[in-house]
Amino acid sequence: MKVKNAMIKDVSAIFENETVEEFIVSCIRKNRSGFPVVDEHFRVVGFISESDIINNALPSYFSLLQSASFIPDTHQFVRKIGEIKDEPVSKFMVTPPIVVHPEDTAIHAADLLIKKRLKAIPVVDDEHQLVGIFTRINLIHVALEGKINSR
Amino acid sequence: MKVLTVTLNPALDREVVVNNFQINELHRINNQKYSVMEPGGKGINVSLILSGLGLPSIAMGFLGGFIGSIVEQKLRMLSDLVTTNFVFVDEETRENLAIIDPSNDTITEINSLGPNIDEKSLKQFMRRFDISLKRAECMVFSGSIPPGVPADYCMELVKKAKDSGKMVISESTGDHFELAVKNGLLTVVKPDLRSKKEYMGETLKSLEDYVKAAEETVKMGSKMAILSYEIEGDVVATSEGVWLLKAKEHIERSHLLGTGDSFVAGVVYRLLKNRKDLLEAAKWGMAAAIAETKFIGKEFISIEDVEMCTESFELSRLR
Repeated sequence: MKVKNAMIKDVSAIFENETVEEFIVSCIRKNRSGFPVVDEHFRVVGFISESDIINNALPSYFSLLQSASFIPDTHQFVRKIGEIKDEPVSKFMVTPPIVVHPEDTAIHAADLLIKKRLKAIPVVDDEHQLVGIFTRINLIHVALEGKINSR
Repeated sequence: MKVLTVTLNPALDREVVVNNFQINELHRINNQKYSVMEPGGKGINVSLILSGLGLPSIAMGFLGGFIGSIVEQKLRMLSDLVTTNFVFVDEETRENLAIIDPSNDTITEINSLGPNIDEKSLKQFMRRFDISLKRAECMVFSGSIPPGVPADYCMELVKKAKDSGKMVISESTGDHFELAVKNGLLTVVKPDLRSKKEYMGETLKSLEDYVKAAEETVKMGSKMAILSYEIEGDVVATSEGVWLLKAKEHIERSHLLGTGDSFVAGVVYRLLKNRKDLLEAAKWGMAAAIAETKFIGKEFISIEDVEMCTESFELSRLR
């Protein structure tokens, strides 16, 4: 099975100079946790997810704590979110992005999802333009139907 | 992706089949098959019909809320040849209800208005539209417009398409549509005459009215005008003449659902093969529309279905 047969043909994306607030609103309205980030030519230049925003709004030492079941300073969190809401998403996105191609095997995409602990991988064509998205649920679905190794 | 369909006001189409439908009565639907839910809106319908013909397309527009999500998911379930790129707004996508009564040969339709589109969403959409347009050869711009979208905005969309040399095919009604027609921005014009036989401020009655309206449309700059005339006919005008296409067999009113969209899909399919041969495209559209009437409700017709109907209508030259 190839990526093109398992991906979602949706090209919803955030432009690199759109704001954090626009990104958050899009997540809520579309019930998504992240989006590919594209430039004016629709080339994928990054990926942004809710965790990129959360990590940025938390104090830097937070990542050092192995397990924390609380946010140490909620006021700081709220203030920080307010501060960054008008900033462009390009400041917080993961770049360069991990991408796959339509002709790649689903196994390859699955491998990336699992090893890199990703929730979704943008699918791009030869010009690096966004053509779809491959998500964890696509992986589970093809695995469930026993199609992942089929040609 | 050769085709971009723009549906600014998609809908969740709900179809119920009720024999002997009467107002003020309780009707029960005993078969689940007679109560279906499908993504709708004229552009989306065209995308779906094109995918039945094996042609991929990208569908754009505004969706919102739970109903918007259902529309998007259903669209995905129905076809893997449609790529989605919708901007989501705050308010809910509309629902359209059609009550089909085969016993009395009627369709009763109730269409709602649609969500309000805020300015930010309009801006977001325009940026995404610009990019998708670059990758397409043909734009289908059909259906109603939701509250909050100014006529100028629609003009900008079609103007961009025309200026970059794309074909623009539109089946619609209202000010935004007529403005685009008057400015000669549309390649193929198909006024949506389902609810009112009114076009360009005129009420269309006699065949002569239809012929005149079609001719006028071409004079204003469109390459072809298609006006559906009575149930079985269509008046088609190009710069080379005016024709009447008329189905040979009687068509049941309850089988008319989706025929306008099939017509448009047929025209698009053929024009992509040959941009010059307009009349041939209209004939293909007519054949696709007749093929669609073989089904009750909306179904995907195949190329074979269309080809089987190429002889199902008569073509007579009026001018």
